[in-house]
Amino acid sequence: MGNTGIQLLTALTGSLGFALVFRLRARLLPWAALGGCLCWGSYLLLSSLAGGSFFPCLLASAAAELYAEILARLLRAPSTLFYIPAVIPLVPGGTLFHAMSAVVRNDWAAASAYGTATGIAALAIAMGMSLIWALVFMLREVSRRMAARKNGR
Amino acid sequence: MEAILDQLLNIGELLLQNGAEISRVEETVSRMGLAYGASEMHVFVITYSIVVTMRLADGTCLTQTRRIGHPAGTDYFRLEACNALSRRCSRAPLPLEELQSEVERIREQPRSRLRIYGGSMLAVGSFTLFFGGGPADMLVSMVFAAVTCLLQEYLMPVCMNRVIFNLICALLIGLGTCGCVLLWPALQLDKIMIGYIMLLIPGLAITNSIRDILVGNTISGALLLTESLLWAGALASGFMLAIWITGV
Repeated sequence: MGNTGIQLLTALTGSLGFALVFRLRARLLPWAALGGCLCWGSYLLLSSLAGGSFFPCLLASAAAELYAEILARLLRAPSTLFYIPAVIPLVPGGTLFHAMSAVVRNDWAAASAYGTATGIAALAIAMGMSLIWALVFMLREVSRRMAARKNGR
Repeated sequence: MEAILDQLLNIGELLLQNGAEISRVEETVSRMGLAYGASEMHVFVITYSIVVTMRLADGTCLTQTRRIGHPAGTDYFRLEACNALSRRCSRAPLPLEELQSEVERIREQPRSRLRIYGGSMLAVGSFTLFFGGGPADMLVSMVFAAVTCLLQEYLMPVCMNRVIFNLICALLIGLGTCGCVLLWPALQLDKIMIGYIMLLIPGLAITNSIRDILVGNTISGALLLTESLLWAGALASGFMLAIWITGV
């Protein structure tokens, strides 16, 4: 439990650090930090429920994008500003390091397993994000068309 | 009109260099062109270039292209400012001089060094703890995060490209970290290095590139993906070399 608490807290400060480097406006910083915490929280929850890492990662990324789209509407700012800091804790830095150190030790089986895990995580993050992006685009188009039809009559 | 098109390209360039997605750049430049009275806008953006053809109300066409240099790094302040400027212009186009001075103002805004150093140290320290490091590991990784920022500031400009920079930077901070671990064996090398990797790894670039491919900007996505894999490879080689030299 203590471990989970540390992870959630450091996901928060880690996302805050990235938001600072990316020069996010001061007023938006708390939202970016909260996003990192929520994203990692949903990953932990989903992986304990479902197991594995591909789908939890995909859905956590989708959750981060959903959070970003909602905040973008509320705070009138582009959604990328919230999505990128939020998704940082999912970035597969750990598996990349283990893949590298396996290469140094000449342990090719471990290197390929960790390397594959790294690639799959990157793919899952991008797919989760694109899923929500496509949905938001669709909703916007539908509502625009409905408004146009209403105005036409 | 030529001068306005030039400013539109300036805005596109600012967006692209500071971390905007391809589709956002295309959309913003098109929208602003239409606001300035073009009847059609044809905008094509890839990672290294912007091509815009503007068809005016009287039927003449204007075309300009712009070669885009190296990305300046993600800067949300500039992204937001460009976005706000384009929205303002879509409501009521600004006169040319005013547009010019606004673009100049966005470009000239200096980045605060304190935020970059502080933010990097906070991020690296946090991820060292996140992946299971202890307080001592966190301190070491934060010191080397500041070193990384110094290298980015002074070494990056004299490097041929990002690949070479990543290789040298990873080698130097890798050697430094391995040295610390040799002096003080209680430190956990893997946790410290994962902290920097989170900062230096082009994980976001890889994610962005896959997203570009999935939404249909295949060329840009493939370019970015190839580049970021090279960067990641250089980073990994640098760290590996350091571990191999010191034998930790």
